[in-house]
Amino acid sequence: MRKRRLLVPARPARAQRAQDGSALLESIFALLLLLMLVLGAIQVAFVLYARNVVAASAHEGARAAVELGRNANDARTVASEVVRSAAGGLVEQMEVAVSVQAVGDLSIVRVRVTGRLKSFGVVPVRIPVGSVATSVRREAPV
Amino acid sequence: MRLSDERGQALIESLLLGMLLLVPLIWALGVLADLHRSALATAAAAREAGFEAANASSDATAAAAVDAAVARALIDGGIDPEQARASWAAIPRLERGAAVEVEVSYPVTVLQAPFLGRVTGPSIWVTSRHVARIDPYRSL
Repeated sequence: MRKRRLLVPARPARAQRAQDGSALLESIFALLLLLMLVLGAIQVAFVLYARNVVAASAHEGARAAVELGRNANDARTVASEVVRSAAGGLVEQMEVAVSVQAVGDLSIVRVRVTGRLKSFGVVPVRIPVGSVATSVRREAPV
Repeated sequence: MRLSDERGQALIESLLLGMLLLVPLIWALGVLADLHRSALATAAAAREAGFEAANASSDATAAAAVDAAVARALIDGGIDPEQARASWAAIPRLERGAAVEVEVSYPVTVLQAPFLGRVTGPSIWVTSRHVARIDPYRSL
């Protein structure tokens, strides 16, 4: 009886053993890449959230500075407290700068809050976040 | 048994699937962040405008003060004030002890990407309202 030849040639045993490990290696690479992408997405979310918190803190600080009986120090305290309570340790190296400009009977208070987002792995760079807010106080006529 | 031309296919498939899942996630993050930012900015604008209107001496000065305060707060919040709507009303009228109600709305575009800006499409209106009381003992 004539033997029929197979279309796919049989692999040597050594080549098959080499193939067995490659699937595991590919899965590990794929999982690592996906993990990095997911962590990157989480970091984007943190950046966006921190940016909003810093903007809100600048405004709260500016608002505090124009209230009756309060001053620039209160603006710094309020802005720092807002960031601390809303973002915890997410924003580092935070600085609050307050400037007051007198224009006629108006006092224009400008609060600038800057900081750096805490790095956690994927992007080993502390991403800077910052915002400026302005508020106006009308001085009472004497 | 894996054929030689199937090498790396699982890696490519996993990455493509991952990207397909991550793209909508990133898009949703951008929209949610913009909604959050707009809510904060409109709330700040309404509060500033209410404060200014409650200290104004007439309807004309109150209207001008509201417009200026809303524009200032929205620009600070990184929002284009041209697209915002602001309205105010003194109840019953602009006088001592009355209430001034300010409403600020802003459309957040749904189709957009973080850091890249907005794309045309449907919008979600974010509205903030603030009521300020005019000082009953003010000198005007």
